[in-house]
Amino acid sequence: MKVLVPVKRVADYNVKVRPKSDGSGVELANVKMSMNPFDEIAVEEAVRLKEAGVASEVIAVSCGIAACQETLRTALAMGADRAILVETDAELQSLAVAKLLKVVADKEGAQLVICGKQAIDDDANQTAQMLAALLDWGQATYASKLSVADGTIEVTREVDGGLETLALALPAVVSADLRLNEPRYATLPNIMKAKKKPLDTLKAAELGVDVAPRVATLSVYTPPERKGGIKVGSVAELVHKLKDDTRVL
Amino acid sequence: MNLTSEQKMLVETVRRFVENEMLPLEDEIEETGRLAPEKARALFEKASANGMYAMNIPEEFGGGGLSAVDTMLVEEQFGHAKDILIRRAFGNVYEVLLKCNEAQRERWLLPTVRGERTCSIAITEPNAGSDAAAIKTRAVPDGKGGWKITGGKHFISDGEFSDFFVVSVVTDASAGAKGISLFLVDKGTPGFIIGRDQKMMGLTGTSHVELAFDEVPVGPENLLGGEGQGFKLILETLGRVRLAQVCARAVGKSVRLLNLMVSYAQERKQFGKPIGDFQMIQQMIADSVVEINASRLLVLDAASDIDNGIDARDKIAMAKFYVSEVLGRVADRAVQVYGGMGYCADLPIERMYRDARIYRIFDGTSEIHRTVVARSAMKHGEALYGTL
Ligand SMILES: Cc1cc2nc3c(=O)[nH]c(=O)nc-3n(C[C@H](O)[C@H](O)[C@H](O)COP(=O)(O)OP(=O)(O)OC[C@H]3O[C@@H](n4cnc5c(N)ncnc54)[C@H](O)[C@@H]3O)c2cc1C
Repeated sequence: MKVLVPVKRVADYNVKVRPKSDGSGVELANVKMSMNPFDEIAVEEAVRLKEAGVASEVIAVSCGIAACQETLRTALAMGADRAILVETDAELQSLAVAKLLKVVADKEGAQLVICGKQAIDDDANQTAQMLAALLDWGQATYASKLSVADGTIEVTREVDGGLETLALALPAVVSADLRLNEPRYATLPNIMKAKKKPLDTLKAAELGVDVAPRVATLSVYTPPERKGGIKVGSVAELVHKLKDDTRVL
Repeated sequence: MNLTSEQKMLVETVRRFVENEMLPLEDEIEETGRLAPEKARALFEKASANGMYAMNIPEEFGGGGLSAVDTMLVEEQFGHAKDILIRRAFGNVYEVLLKCNEAQRERWLLPTVRGERTCSIAITEPNAGSDAAAIKTRAVPDGKGGWKITGGKHFISDGEFSDFFVVSVVTDASAGAKGISLFLVDKGTPGFIIGRDQKMMGLTGTSHVELAFDEVPVGPENLLGGEGQGFKLILETLGRVRLAQVCARAVGKSVRLLNLMVSYAQERKQFGKPIGDFQMIQQMIADSVVEINASRLLVLDAASDIDNGIDARDKIAMAKFYVSEVLGRVADRAVQVYGGMGYCADLPIERMYRDARIYRIFDGTSEIHRTVVARSAMKHGEALYGTL
């Protein structure tokens, strides 16, 4: 079973991001970039499937600029077998990424795609779902546990009411939640080996996919500073605040 | 500096390990004065499982096989953490052990690389510090091909934990520096006493002990390198250790302190604005930035010479006093930028300020390394500092 793991290059979770001065987006110049943390969890899970003898090959794939190679090298150092960069300088929105991933999944004959549930930059939380729809495969999002046996996977997912367990026929798309596993540190030997593992590049423009953005960003700005809360003296005052001052009721 | 993608990954991985696994242990070490043995063990096991133990030792002996430059890059990251944590997580596997002959390897080098044994270097004596050739600890032939060692050492780092010691000893009192030899002496050898822990200003958790030798029997199998080769071996191999364990780590400490300064300058408000708006605070930040970058370049330049087989001793001497003095200045500025909070033991700055002070002293004082550099300048002229 081939497992495909999409990984996204995002601003590192330690970075305090700021909007660009013209409000057109987030300032990424001279910002430390890393693999999206949820994607690390996805890579870890795929590598564990490989180690357990369930997966035959783990392929990391990233869509974007040439610098995404670094993110792919990290996936290789964590244990992925090879990597594919779908290279483009164009702005990629979730749907475009899902379409590109579909092409790669088809081409590679992947049986399972494990995505992070969302990327910490736009928090869109939709690529896995769109990809499953485009592939017409089953999907299980927010996985906190995953096991594979005889062409079926069992996924435990965290839902509002508790835990839900789904059984899916392969091929399928799974998205990883925080508690699925604790990603490993890349080991020194694997870091040194990562360079020798294959990293292929596909040109997005040659894949016959329309990646044009469907959503326009009008402006990006820092949210207004939160005002401190207030204490109310009575229920009557509370109702008054909710009704008249804040119009919540 | 343009790092390769492997170097970046290496640095990031080690940094993450330091931040997640090591820094959270620091408060407890500071409060209790020690790193609990079970935590030390767990830390070692985790680092070792990730191939992070003994990264500086060639692969053929079971180490990580990093070049000198790569070693300095990871050592800088180690430097963010307290000394004792670095020792337990990444090991003090000194390159001088590579001088072990085949028979000695099994007993001393290989188990040390695996982390089964640990070692200290014992050179300094109460009456021989900067003048390391003036040691009085001596080995007298026992008439059966071996020796009996008598004398004493002090300030020996990590001595309480170590299983064996690389000890500098006079084997020929008439030959000066050429009469000094190195012996590998196991803890538990009759007559060898590991004495009290000498309390220090900082470096909490690391022991620094006195050693006493009373006719300690050693044989040819304990002699590291040839007889009379000790001082030469020290000069040859301890330079790289100094560059890694003192210079590169000092850069890391400066970086951690500057990170704290930069964030506080933006958060702390007085007179209605962040203190980072005041030019006198900005000067402290700007000077630290430039001095830290200059420090790293000195360290990596010396390391690059080592990798290229060029004698790097003068450059290591330059780095030793410059980088350790930069750390001193950065630590001092960090206290100043934090004001009272910098002096208060609730934050790590207070302890880092104390830890920083030793960097100008151990492994050769600033004065000694300045002397080396000045003498070399007078001997080699522009070759030392120019481009011709
Ligand atoms: C925390 C700590 C850990 C240590 N760990 C170890 C260890 O693991 N193994 C080990 O062997 N040693 C260790 N040492 C010893 C350390 O290397 C020595 O303290 C250091 O080399 C200085 O020697 P000294 O203390 O005897 O000072 P001294 O040599 O007595 O120097 C006193 C002062 O005189 C100055 N001075 C001396 N000679 C000259 C000169 N020619 N020109 C100008 N000024 C001069 C010095 O710079 C210094 O300012 C450690 C020391 C400490 C404090």
